[in-house]
Amino acid sequence: MRGKDIGTSMKAIRLTLLLGALATLFFVLSLLIGPAELGIVKSIGGLFAGGDEAAMIIMREIRLPRAILALGVGFSLGISGAVLQGFLRNPLAEPGIIGVSAVASLGAVSTFYTGIAGASLFALPAGALGGALVAVLVLLAIAARHGSTLTLILAGIALTSLAGALTSLILNLSPNPFASYEIIFWLLGSIKDRSMEHVWLALPLMIAGWILIAFAARAIDALSLGEEAASSLGVSMAHTRILIVAGVALCVGAGTAVTGAIGFVGLVVPHLIRPLTDRMPSNLLLPSGLGGAALLLAADIAVRVVVPGRELNIGVVTALIGAPFFLWLVIRARREMF
Amino acid sequence: MWCRPSLKAVFPNLRAGQRGGFSCGILFFAIAALVALTLPAAAAPKRVMSLNVCTDQLAMALAGPDQLTSVSFLAGDPDLSVMHKEASAYSKNRGLAEEVFLAQPDMVVTGTYSLHNTTALLKRLDFQVEEFPFTQTLESIPADIRRMGEILGREGRAERMATEFERELQSAENAACEPVPTAIAYDQNGVALGAGTLADSVLKAAGFRNLAAESGIHGMAPFPLELLVSLKPDVVIVPRSLSDAPSLADQIPRHPAIGALKESRIGTFVPRASWACGGPFTIEAVRALRTLRKDVAPCAEKTSALR
Amino acid sequence: MRLVVSNLSVTLSGRKVLRRVSLSISPGEVVGLLGPNGAGKSTLMRAIVSQIRSSGSITFGDESLAALGDRDRARLVAYLPQARVIGWQLSVRNVVALGRLPWRGFAKGPGDHDRAVCEEAMRLMDVAYLADRPATELSGGEQARVLAARAVAQETPLLLADEPASGLDPAHQISMMQALRRLSAQGRSVLVSLHDLTLAARWCDRLVLLKDGSIADEGPPEAVLTSGNLQDVFNVSAHIAQDENGLILAPTGLVEQRGTHSGQ
Repeated sequence: MRGKDIGTSMKAIRLTLLLGALATLFFVLSLLIGPAELGIVKSIGGLFAGGDEAAMIIMREIRLPRAILALGVGFSLGISGAVLQGFLRNPLAEPGIIGVSAVASLGAVSTFYTGIAGASLFALPAGALGGALVAVLVLLAIAARHGSTLTLILAGIALTSLAGALTSLILNLSPNPFASYEIIFWLLGSIKDRSMEHVWLALPLMIAGWILIAFAARAIDALSLGEEAASSLGVSMAHTRILIVAGVALCVGAGTAVTGAIGFVGLVVPHLIRPLTDRMPSNLLLPSGLGGAALLLAADIAVRVVVPGRELNIGVVTALIGAPFFLWLVIRARREMF
Repeated sequence: MWCRPSLKAVFPNLRAGQRGGFSCGILFFAIAALVALTLPAAAAPKRVMSLNVCTDQLAMALAGPDQLTSVSFLAGDPDLSVMHKEASAYSKNRGLAEEVFLAQPDMVVTGTYSLHNTTALLKRLDFQVEEFPFTQTLESIPADIRRMGEILGREGRAERMATEFERELQSAENAACEPVPTAIAYDQNGVALGAGTLADSVLKAAGFRNLAAESGIHGMAPFPLELLVSLKPDVVIVPRSLSDAPSLADQIPRHPAIGALKESRIGTFVPRASWACGGPFTIEAVRALRTLRKDVAPCAEKTSALR
Repeated sequence: MRLVVSNLSVTLSGRKVLRRVSLSISPGEVVGLLGPNGAGKSTLMRAIVSQIRSSGSITFGDESLAALGDRDRARLVAYLPQARVIGWQLSVRNVVALGRLPWRGFAKGPGDHDRAVCEEAMRLMDVAYLADRPATELSGGEQARVLAARAVAQETPLLLADEPASGLDPAHQISMMQALRRLSAQGRSVLVSLHDLTLAARWCDRLVLLKDGSIADEGPPEAVLTSGNLQDVFNVSAHIAQDENGLILAPTGLVEQRGTHSGQ
C-alpha cells in the first residue's frame, strides 16, 4: 500500500526528470543550430568564455535569447493548457483554441502599430496582456454560464476569427508599408531574431504567471469533483478564478507579445503526458510545462532545419502537429460534446 | 531599391485598372484620336503627367515651367523622394487611369512595374505612355536622364546633368584604392541588398565590397543575422524608420547583436531617400559613402606604385 | 458540537427558496431531510456550507460557519453533493485522497495519517477493493460510494450528504446507511437527504420534513411519517407497516391536494 504510493511518486519524479532532460537536450541543440555553422567547441566557447567576438555575439545575442524564449513560451503554453483543462474539466481547453492567443495578438498589434505608445517595445506586452486578460475573462464567463465543451470551443472560434480579422485590419491600415506583411507573424508566430530585450520583457511576466498557476494547483485537483464538491473542500472559486485568469493572461500575453500566437502546444502536450501521470490535474502542471518547452524548442529547431534558408513560421509546425490531433480528439469526444 | 515606392504605389493603383472609364470609352477614343492627329509628332509635350515616384523626380529635375501637370502623391514623401520639397509645387495624382483621363495630358511617364494595369489601359486608350524600367543601377541613371530629357524635349539640360553625373562617377572610380572596406546594406526585416541593386552599385562606386552580393544574394533577399555577425562587415547601413507608425520590420536592423559588433560602423549614412530611386541625386549617396569610406579605411600609400 | 440553524432564509433570483428554517443536530445524530423535489433540501445544505448566500444564523459549536474561512469550514463540515462528478480518470484512491485537501499544507503530499484515514474511509464505504481502478470506469453505485468515501475522508464532525443513496441497489442503499450510522457512532453528526421513506424511517434518529422551503414537521420517524403528512407534503397515500426495526412505507397512490381544486 505505502509501497504503491511511493511507486507512483517515484514514477512522477522520473517523468519530470525525463521531460526536463528532453527540454535541456533541445535547448542545447537549439543553441548549436544556425546558419553560421560555428561548431560545438566554438559555440560553447562563445557562450561562456567569450573569445571570438562573432561567435560570442552569435551565441549570446542571437541564439541564447531565441532558445530561452522557446523554452519560456513553450513552458507557458504547456502549463496554461494544463491548468485550463483542469479548471474547466475540459480536455479541449487551450489558449490557442479558445482564442486567448489571438486576442493577445490583437492587443499587442493595437497598442504597437497605432503608435499609441510610440515605437516602444513595452507597448507589446502591455497590449498583449490586456488582450489575453479580456479573452480569458470573456471565456470564463461563457464557460461558467453554459459549461459545455461545445460552447467553449464555439466561443473560442468566434473570438479567434474576430481577433484575427481586427489584427489584419489594423495592420492593413497602418501607414507603414511593412506592417501588412507582419500579419503572418501575429497569427502564426515566430521566434526568429528575437533579442535579450525580448527575453527581459517577457520572461519575468511569464515566471509570475507560472507562480500564480502553481498556487491554483490544489484547487484544480479539487475541481475534478465539480465546483460544489471543490468549494466544500475549502477551495475558494473566486480566488481560484483570479489566480488562473491572471496566470494564464501573464503566460499567454507575455509570450504572444514577443513571439506572436503559437497554437496547439497547450492542447497536445497535456494530452500526451496525462496517461503517463496519475491524472491528478496538479501533477500534470510541471510535466506539461517541461513538455511544452521541449516541443516548442524542437519545433523551433525544425523550422530552421527543414527548409534551410527559408525559415517557416513556428506556428505552422505546431499547427501541422496539433490540428490533426485536435480533430482526432474532437471525433473521439463528440459524444460528450453533442 | 525600388521596393519602398512600389510597396506603397502598387496597391492603390491595382484598383485603377478595374475602375477605368470604360463607360465613356468611345467618346474618349474619338477625342484622343483627334488630339493625336492634330499635334505635330516631334513637338515637346506641353502637359506631362508622372505616375511613379521615380519618374516624378526625373521629370521634376528636367521639366520646363508648367510642363509637368502632376506628380504622384508619393513624390511628397520625404522617405521616398529626395525632391519632396519641389513636389509641393505640383498637384498630386494617385496614379488612377480616371485621373489621367480627366487631366488629358499629352504625355504620361511611369515605371514598368508599379502601374502595370493602369499602363495597359492607358495605352489602349491611346495615351502616349513612356515607361522606365524597374531595376536601376548607377550605370543606368545617365541613360534614364537622357531619355527623360528626350521625352520632355529638354535634351540640352539632360545632357549636362547626365555628363556631370558620369564625370563624378568616373572620379569616384579613379579614386579607388586599397584596402577595400566591407559593407552590408541591411534593410527592414533583415533583408540585404545584394547584386544587381542600386545600393550594390552605389557601394561599389564608393569603394566598398558589398558582402551581401559576395555571399550570393541577388536582388533583395533575407540575410541571416548570424551570418552578418560572423562576416563582421566594416560598415552596416541600416534604414531609417519609414514613418511615425512603428513596425516589427524596423526592429531587425536594430537588433542588439549588430550593435555588439565593436569594430563595425553602424548607421544610416546615405542621405534620406537618396538611393530609393535612381536619379541625379543618387550621386549624393555615393558622396556620403565615399566620405565614410575615407574615414573607415584610409587609402594605403601606393608604395608599390612608387617603386 | 451542535449544529444550530436558526431563521435561515434563502432567496434565489427573486424567489424565496427557504423561509425561516430552524433546526439543530447533536453529535452522534443522523438526521434525515425529507421533502418533494424542489422543497429546498439541497439549498439548505449548500447554505450551511456557505455556497449560497443566506440570512439567519448557522453555528457549529461556538463558531459561525459563515464567518469561517473556506478551509477552516471544510475541516468542520463535509458536503457530499447530489451531482456525482468525477473529471479525468482518477483512481479511486486518488479521489478519496482529495478529501484530505483541507488538512494538507501547500504543495505537500499526503502523510501517513492522511493515508490511514483514506484507507479507513474506503473500508467504511466498501470500496477498498477498487482502490486502484479508475473511478470513471465504475458503476454508478460504486461511484456514489467512492465519492461518499471522499467526504468521509474529510474527517469532519459534521457530514451533509445530499441523496447519497439514490441510484444504489438495495444492498448498497443499506450499506450506505449503515456507513452513516457508523460515522454517528464515532460521534459525528450527519444530515442526510433521502427520497426513500423506508430508508429514512429505519436509519435516521430524527426526520425533518421540508415543504416549499419551510419545515412542515420534525421529530422521530414515527411522529413525522404519518399518512397525514405524506398526503400534505408528498401528495401520496401510503401503506405504513412496522416491524421490530421500524416503519415500512410503500407509497400506493396519488391524492389530490386538499383545497387545490376548491375553486371549481
